[in-house]
Amino acid sequence: MITKIANWFDERVGWKAVWETIFLRKIPKVNWLYTLGSATLFTAVNQAVTGILLTIYYVPTPDHAYDSVQYITTQIPMGWLIRGLHHWGASAMVILTVLHMLRVILLGAYKYPREVTWFTGVFLLLVVVGFGFTGYLLPWDQKAYWGSSVGTRIAGSTPVVGDWILRVMRGGPDLSAITLVRFFGVHVWVLPASLILLLGIHMYLVIKIGISAVPKREEE
Amino acid sequence: MSEKERLTRRDFMSIAMWAIGGVIGAAFGIPAVAYIIGPAARKQEDQGWIRLGAASKVELGSPTLFKSKIEKQTGWITNEEELSVYVLTENGRNFTAMSNICTHLGCRVRWIADQEQFFCPCHNAAFAKNGDVVSGPPPRPLDQYQVKEEDGQLFVLGG
Amino acid sequence: MNEKEKKTYLEQYKKDKEKGVPFYPDILFKDAVVSLLIFLVLAALAYFIGAPLEERANPSDTSYTPKPEWYFLFLFQLLKYFPGELEVVAVVVIPTLAIILLFLLPFLDRSTKRHFWNRPLISVLVIGSAAGVLFLTVQSIRETPPPAEASQGDPVAALYTENCAVCHSGTITVPEGTNLHDVIAQGTHEGMPAWSGDMTTDEIDALAGFILSPGGNALFKEYCSECHETSELVASDPIELKAALDEGDAYAPHAEVSIPEWSEEITLGERTALLNFLVAPDGQRLFATNCAQCHGRSVGFAGEENELRDLVSQGGLHLEMPPWRDTLNSDQLDALAQYVTASSDSGNTRELFEQYCASCHGKRIPTMDDYDQAREIIASGGAHETMPVWGEVLTSEQLGALVSYTMEAAEGTSLEAGQELFAQNCAVCHGDFGEGGPNPARSDDVIAPISTTEYLTTRDDHTLFQVIAQGQPNFGMSPFGSTFGGPLDDDQINTMVAYIRSWEANPPVELPPEVDSSSVSLSSGEVYAQLCAQCHGPEGLGDVGPSLRDPEFRAGNTSQDIFETISKGHEATPMIRWGDLLSQDTIQELTDFILGLEISEAGVKPEPTPGFSSFAEDVLPIFEAKCAPCHGSMGGWDSSSYDTVMTSGDNAPTIIPNDVENSILAQKITDTQTYGTMMPPGGKMTNNEIQLILDWISAGAPDN
Repeated sequence: MITKIANWFDERVGWKAVWETIFLRKIPKVNWLYTLGSATLFTAVNQAVTGILLTIYYVPTPDHAYDSVQYITTQIPMGWLIRGLHHWGASAMVILTVLHMLRVILLGAYKYPREVTWFTGVFLLLVVVGFGFTGYLLPWDQKAYWGSSVGTRIAGSTPVVGDWILRVMRGGPDLSAITLVRFFGVHVWVLPASLILLLGIHMYLVIKIGISAVPKREEE
Repeated sequence: MSEKERLTRRDFMSIAMWAIGGVIGAAFGIPAVAYIIGPAARKQEDQGWIRLGAASKVELGSPTLFKSKIEKQTGWITNEEELSVYVLTENGRNFTAMSNICTHLGCRVRWIADQEQFFCPCHNAAFAKNGDVVSGPPPRPLDQYQVKEEDGQLFVLGG
Repeated sequence: MNEKEKKTYLEQYKKDKEKGVPFYPDILFKDAVVSLLIFLVLAALAYFIGAPLEERANPSDTSYTPKPEWYFLFLFQLLKYFPGELEVVAVVVIPTLAIILLFLLPFLDRSTKRHFWNRPLISVLVIGSAAGVLFLTVQSIRETPPPAEASQGDPVAALYTENCAVCHSGTITVPEGTNLHDVIAQGTHEGMPAWSGDMTTDEIDALAGFILSPGGNALFKEYCSECHETSELVASDPIELKAALDEGDAYAPHAEVSIPEWSEEITLGERTALLNFLVAPDGQRLFATNCAQCHGRSVGFAGEENELRDLVSQGGLHLEMPPWRDTLNSDQLDALAQYVTASSDSGNTRELFEQYCASCHGKRIPTMDDYDQAREIIASGGAHETMPVWGEVLTSEQLGALVSYTMEAAEGTSLEAGQELFAQNCAVCHGDFGEGGPNPARSDDVIAPISTTEYLTTRDDHTLFQVIAQGQPNFGMSPFGSTFGGPLDDDQINTMVAYIRSWEANPPVELPPEVDSSSVSLSSGEVYAQLCAQCHGPEGLGDVGPSLRDPEFRAGNTSQDIFETISKGHEATPMIRWGDLLSQDTIQELTDFILGLEISEAGVKPEPTPGFSSFAEDVLPIFEAKCAPCHGSMGGWDSSSYDTVMTSGDNAPTIIPNDVENSILAQKITDTQTYGTMMPPGGKMTNNEIQLILDWISAGAPDN
């Protein structure tokens, strides 16, 4: 019965071919360091899932943000878990991305023919940092407010355009409701969209070119 | 390494992978469900006795309207709401407390003293002095509160 | 990488792939295991640590130490190394460069080699950068104090954070001798509000302790806070605190609790910090809690700072105790001696102690080892320790603060300051020297002089303070204390009290002058008649004061001398500092007037001055005024009648007729005594009085 349904879909969708090309392809033998990429992907999924769940209750306005976060943490069943996973996942994401990058550099995996994969990877690193920066403000507690206040001011100390950058980031001269809601917008729409796009290219290239083999040490 | 053993190893990895996937899925899924339905599944907040006012204010044989402020907590927001209750007594000892919300669609009913009836302006429903439906669409009599009298003060159970 | 090399790589890769494993399940299994691991770690972190949520954002709270998320810390730290103009390097140049380098990496490193051992430059650079970032992050965590953590569960630290840290950041360096309590309460420096409206006195004390001994706060939290609230112990009796710390569970209130021997548990330095925290080294508060009970609220001390320090730290030996054998019976003396030697705590004895001794000794029971000595001291009284040995009780910081406060406050009560205040506020009704005059508030009423000896001896500082602060509404005097709506604060009133008190030894007014000399211009003759004649006689032949026409006087005094004497007066005589009262011109005119008086060889003295004529009329009244206030109640020498004067006293006889030198009374009033203190303890009598008594003795101490 299941086979029948599977076949019915395969005839129309062609999923079996996709399955075979993605999952049944052969891969050079690699060590555990090569799981760092997947680990990063897993944390990204974790961030996406928990992030979506958080938006169910979170309200990005100064008068409700803190209360709603507190409500999530203390009142909603499992709210502590969802927020905890998101909070710690953010740190894990940064760590894993950097470790993944170090592995790629040290084992020369960015070289021919994977240069474009590398470019998307660097962009992804920037996106991850952007997530961290915008997400930090959202709970609207003291740490968030003052951390972001200083963070935007650091960016604002750029010569010539600094003040302009500061105003654009904050949506005005001060850290305000406008800042909160635009950080929220960037955090849940702009950056995730970029992430999906970049990740798509990144993954496509990884599957198409194949994961790099463990290089051998050349005796000179 | 024989072909059979290799197969077994692959099978094991396959099964383990799916199992781990399932565990992680459940670890996300179950909390997520609890998280989403949490507020809905929350029991009505503890009911407490709400003070209406002095029992002596109730007119014998005529429903008297009491208004009382109650705090209602929804999520992280606390609102002050007004609770309106009609209290009826025939003998000054036994009190009946009725909600002023029409059981049809939730409009507010009013006591029309001339006609000795509660009247709902939305769909011309009428309730008798004791809350029974006299005419119109309401499916059941006016809701009643549990009521008690203490030190000359009236309390209803609500929340 | 040329085409050939590319081809070689692709072929090699193809071979590797064929030798490899299928993505599913081999690789995916590894991924799944790693994912599960990560999930478990994250869930554990969420469960055991949770996602922190601090206080709601408060844009007006500028005291908060901002801290970015940890993965930005390295950048944050980097800023510290590029101050000022160079900040651009850390903010823009380095990060931009880093990102560009990352992008260009495939073009910069174009060799075919892939293993890190074969690319030492890149490997070292990358690992070096990673180590650098790690180092900066660690450094930043180490250098930034955890925000607001110190204030958790620590009300005093929280108080500090809330109220002080905004402007003062973490610590305040307080100059020595600062009256910190006052500074906080009244907000005496630029832009600092007066906190007394928002904080209780206890809170201010706790804050002062916190600022002056921040370590003490942590010690309190560690050792005492389990049982004690901070406010309960702050500014309490230092003797008790010291005892509690030194005696461990032998300290009576701690007897029921199991507490460690603090002297072993906490080091000396820590105990000092703790004491400094609980009783802030804040001179005024220390004075108020420890000294004011006996010394009153107005501070006066004329000696050197070292003297004061010795006096305070060594305690007692400067007050006299009455000889109790006059008052108590032998049994009671025995019991008391027993009590202080063994501290045997029988109820009766304690009652006895409380009845007779506690008023001066307080709760601090003096202890002695030798029973006989103790009994002797109690029985005979005399000089011995009554003032606590503060050197043993107070920490050196506290002692220093107390001494410097007392010195400063004593200076603050300089007579000039008091005089000025008096002139501004009181002189209108009371006259420049408290001589009184018509009451402007009530017609037909005359304000009596307040500068007479009699008025001042019968009112203590506290009474004077109260009168000034609350006014005398019944007599038309409005309240001057700020607490009653008047213009003066407590310190100002105390300064004025000290000034008024200074008249006691040297009353400017024996009889109120009829004329306000400062406002009317009088001829020098008239001034002489009004003022000088009271003592020097209308003819200048002398009365209380010396004859101004005496040839000896004239020979020994130049015009300058006379001018100086009039201006500065003689201490402890009715010859006051007329310079305060009269203009220089007037004094010069007076001097000329005096010099113009004819020299009279006779030097007629209407009555020899000091002239003793009768014990009952001249000597006894002095005894009554100067000696009886203490000796009447405390026993010892009884000054009430001729017989008792001649026979009573612990060292009777105190008077040997015709022998001034060996009469104890004479020694004591002239401050030439061989033991004990001078009498009266408050200051010498006037020369006239002394002379009268001495004359009486040398005349054979007749009873007439």
